[in-house]
Amino acid sequence: MIPTEQGQASKPSSKYRSQFRIYVDIMHVIQRENNEAKPTRILYGANLSHDRLTKYLEELKNLGVIQENGIDDKTYSLTQKGVEFLNNFRKVESFASAFGFRI
Amino acid sequence: MLAPLWFFGFDSLMEFIGFAIASAVAYQALKGYRLSKERTLLYLNLSFGLLGAGLLIDGLANLIVLLVRFHRAFLFLSAFGYTIDFVAQLLAYGLLVFAYMQQTRNVGAEIPIAAAAVPVLFFEHNPVTELILIFLLVYIATHTAINYNMNKSASALLVFGAFASLSVAHIFFLLFTLAAIFFPLAHIAQLFGFLLLLAMLIRVNHPT
Repeated sequence: MIPTEQGQASKPSSKYRSQFRIYVDIMHVIQRENNEAKPTRILYGANLSHDRLTKYLEELKNLGVIQENGIDDKTYSLTQKGVEFLNNFRKVESFASAFGFRI
Repeated sequence: MLAPLWFFGFDSLMEFIGFAIASAVAYQALKGYRLSKERTLLYLNLSFGLLGAGLLIDGLANLIVLLVRFHRAFLFLSAFGYTIDFVAQLLAYGLLVFAYMQQTRNVGAEIPIAAAAVPVLFFEHNPVTELILIFLLVYIATHTAINYNMNKSASALLVFGAFASLSVAHIFFLLFTLAAIFFPLAHIAQLFGFLLLLAMLIRVNHPT
């Protein structure tokens, strides 16, 4: 399970994204890039500053949903846990969306 | 007004099916809440949990009355089951209305829940209390219609169809005070609403 920031997740209409939503956006970008995304692609794709991207990538690595590849030319890919998480998330998003709820 | 005798038993069966589907929706919402911690999914879980519980208790109460062949000593069970189901529905639909209201603006949880709980003070079967349920359901059906209009997905259409059907069911329950035939019609409309929710669940979990 991926934690959310208190108070933000309950207000999806807010212009601020929840931490959970940012995690999902990062993972979507990685998947869209054929599961091998460079930090700059994630930065633009998920619309994050460099500092926040570094922080979130570290958190996602600690959660075991993404992994870092390479040393100089770093790329990120989803782990099996990450792929399963995104699949489950899509089902939940589709379910909530059917009722008109945004997550 | 008494329900048609030939329909006894079928109403319980339909309510058990409704209970199973409502429980499945509640479970799906709980899974979503565990994953995302999105509060609206928790409200959805509680709402369908309540709906399922109400249907189960009413279905069981009516089944017992049927099994003891309408023995005078057990007739109170039918009214008891109806009352529990009615209160459960009021709270469930009140929660859903609250979830939709919270989606658009920040409101205190206590307002719609309290509004839904007020009729509990006089919850005998009467047109006024049925009208409150219809009002809540029409509000939800309107929101789901707007949602379908915005995203045009088949799942959204199924949810809208479900709540529209549940609204029609309660209009029939209201009309049951005028003619007995509306009782089976109401149960059929209610079952149809839950079957549409089942179709949505299958669609969401097995996307083509």
